[in-house]
Amino acid sequence: MKDVNMEVMIGNYSIARGLVEAGLELAAAYPGTPSSEIIPGIIEFNKREHGHIHAEWSTNERCALEVAFGAASIGRKAACMMKQVGLNVAFPSFLGARRKKIKGGLVIICCDDPGPQSSQTEQDTRLIATLLNIPVLDPSSAKEAGDVAYYAMEYSYEHKVPVIVRSTHRVSHARENITLYQIGTRKVALNEGIGEAGVKGSRGQGVKGKRENGGHPNHSITQSLNHSSASSYPLSAKFGIVASGMSFSIAMDVIFELNLTQRIPIYKVIKVNPVDPDIYDFVDNAGRVLVLEETDSVLEAMIHRGNKVFGRRNGYVPGAGELTYDIIRGIIEQIVEEMGMEERTFFPDYSIEEALKEIRFPPRPPRLCAGCPHRASFFAMRYASPEAIFPGDIGCYTLGISMGAVDTCIDMGGGVNLASGFYNACNQDETFTPIIASIGDSTFFHAGLEPLYDATKTGKRFILVIMDNSTTAMTGMQPTPQTGMTADGVKTHSIKIEDMVRGFGIDFLKIIDPYSIPLMVETIREAHAYLVLDNHSAHKPAVIIARRECLLSAKGKHEALLDTINIEQDCIGCKSCIKLFDCPALIFNDEKRKVTVDEGLCTRCGMCLLVCAMKRPRKGQNK
Amino acid sequence: MKMEIVCAGVGGRGVLLASTILIETAIKAGFEAMASDEYGMSQRGGSVVSLVKIGDCKSPLIGRENADILLSFEESEFYRNLAFLKRGGMAIVNTRKGFLRDGIGNLLKERNIKCHFVNADDIASRKGSMQAANMAILGYFSYFKQGPYMLGAIEETIKEKTKGKFVEKNLEIFDAGYRYGEK
Ligand code: SF4
Ligand code: SF4
Repeated sequence: MKDVNMEVMIGNYSIARGLVEAGLELAAAYPGTPSSEIIPGIIEFNKREHGHIHAEWSTNERCALEVAFGAASIGRKAACMMKQVGLNVAFPSFLGARRKKIKGGLVIICCDDPGPQSSQTEQDTRLIATLLNIPVLDPSSAKEAGDVAYYAMEYSYEHKVPVIVRSTHRVSHARENITLYQIGTRKVALNEGIGEAGVKGSRGQGVKGKRENGGHPNHSITQSLNHSSASSYPLSAKFGIVASGMSFSIAMDVIFELNLTQRIPIYKVIKVNPVDPDIYDFVDNAGRVLVLEETDSVLEAMIHRGNKVFGRRNGYVPGAGELTYDIIRGIIEQIVEEMGMEERTFFPDYSIEEALKEIRFPPRPPRLCAGCPHRASFFAMRYASPEAIFPGDIGCYTLGISMGAVDTCIDMGGGVNLASGFYNACNQDETFTPIIASIGDSTFFHAGLEPLYDATKTGKRFILVIMDNSTTAMTGMQPTPQTGMTADGVKTHSIKIEDMVRGFGIDFLKIIDPYSIPLMVETIREAHAYLVLDNHSAHKPAVIIARRECLLSAKGKHEALLDTINIEQDCIGCKSCIKLFDCPALIFNDEKRKVTVDEGLCTRCGMCLLVCAMKRPRKGQNK
Repeated sequence: MKMEIVCAGVGGRGVLLASTILIETAIKAGFEAMASDEYGMSQRGGSVVSLVKIGDCKSPLIGRENADILLSFEESEFYRNLAFLKRGGMAIVNTRKGFLRDGIGNLLKERNIKCHFVNADDIASRKGSMQAANMAILGYFSYFKQGPYMLGAIEETIKEKTKGKFVEKNLEIFDAGYRYGEK
């Protein structure tokens, strides 16, 4: 029964497919969860279709947007992708590009991270787009995301304006069976408003791209979208819901579960700007309205009907975080009960949590992988200079926080600038508080070059550890400029970090394998000694490149060291390896009062032996 | 039909492959199916949860006490995700032990939740591939014949979804998991 033209894929691949089918010609992106899989998707579909799409990883989001804008302005269909905070990096060009005429099409795919699950902060792209009056679409499922991407490209091409597709991680990473069409043949009409689904509660047509009666969207930005008529629903509902994005899909499931489908109409919004004026009829005709959207109050602000609306402003909807199934079910139950429509039917049974209190199971906070070379670098940094200030940055190595070797984290590249600030704040009187900043290789190219140049130019004295694992690990192993590899795996020239650093005139530069922890410790101390020299050449940062492949790409390639020593045998249960080293493969066994090693996770890198009170440094370490 | 399954484990141990196999198998059997994956920031060793919904639904997300089935690929993740499981639901737990602590055991009994234990790590490592414990769990799960999840149907999907040289090993471990159920 499997349709040959259907395939299970994640929302980001669905978006990629939609763009490719819409005739995309150029795509540029900087990886960032939850947007990172769109470029690989485009490359994959382009290969399958034997197309000529140019797809590239840019150095940062501003580069991506400007490259795409350049192509669009001379008539191409172009797209760029980024995560929500990436839009801030691209903001200058975003502001500039929005008013310029383009000849082709420009779609900006921006993936938000409610929660946030893998970001420093939440940010609602719909809000920014709405403020700047840029059309923005908010798909509610992986399947719909492909339709919306296709529609956005056609719309942009036709109206010569940039269009934003805002996805969220629940849409981008949902997996569904998705139909593949031939290029240029998809028929999409966004189906907003109250669909049949709102009445029947079935997985009906009302919320899918209506392929059978579609055609090219040809209305101006301010004209209404094709949606089913609001008159198909009793207009005087006591209580209705306005929802967009994944919150819409969840709300549909919730009212079905609570058996309220016949009583609560749901008005679905895909196009958040410009919003369809019918929404106001819906709101005016309903007794009260609940607005469900992630993450800010964009629709709620537009609707602007004071206390008639249940939303963030009157505290019914949480002001931050993901709107989960449980949260949405809770809100709907509360309102329905308050309005006297229905008794509560779902009461969470917290005896589960009570019973679990007795059970000890290992916490799993975000941690560096077992065997990660960054763990060794952080350990060495802290060991060499526990009293130092540690400005950190964005990437896997942000997780160095749990090892006490990352104190700050604001945005990409921020760690290097903060180090400069700390230097002047702490050391103007030449007291020399050590400052050891860290940054990853991809981040260094993304946003670390200018700060380092700046620090060199203005004579700052701090240590910068560039953690070079030769990939962009956190977002899924995208190549960095140094790897000399394009997005589709073709060899190109490599740009070396050390050449850039030397180019700035920095003369303290050491390249070290972080697995050699003692050498790393020694080098950090040496760098500090260099910085405090009363010598003009020391009026610059000292740079250490800690270079070892990310464990995920090195899989099995390096020698196993742990075999030489039985870690469990000599353990006295002091937990120092767990506390100082934080490797997820080390587990404290309460019964044996010893540390045991999770064989499934341990990579046998042997680094934890250096931390063990029972082993002297260098034992079992053959470097 | 409607079926909600929570797959829970730690990163790098095949949770997402298992949920892919579940979705594809359901789709081949003619159902609608979708999934939502949640993985932490680090690539290996963090909690991974994949929610799978089959049948009439619009979102791939599952509310607490709504899941029919909880497949835990790692014991601690069973506890962490227990609140998803509804009354009368079923859980498969990969564990070395064969029992639950009293407090929890009684609670599950009272909620009419059936808990099945399997040492999938052991089954898989005996067959020479510790990393394929996920297959042993799927095999054991197929023994219970829930919805579209029959032995042959899952086997078919494993053949399609795993890479060349692993197919045979995976099927062997899957089969060992099934036979563990028969015992
Ligand atoms: S993905 Fe690579 S860089 Fe990131 S924590 Fe794991 S081993 Fe380290
Ligand atoms: S050898 Fe030690 S540090 Fe390395 S992965 Fe195993 S437990 Fe972790």
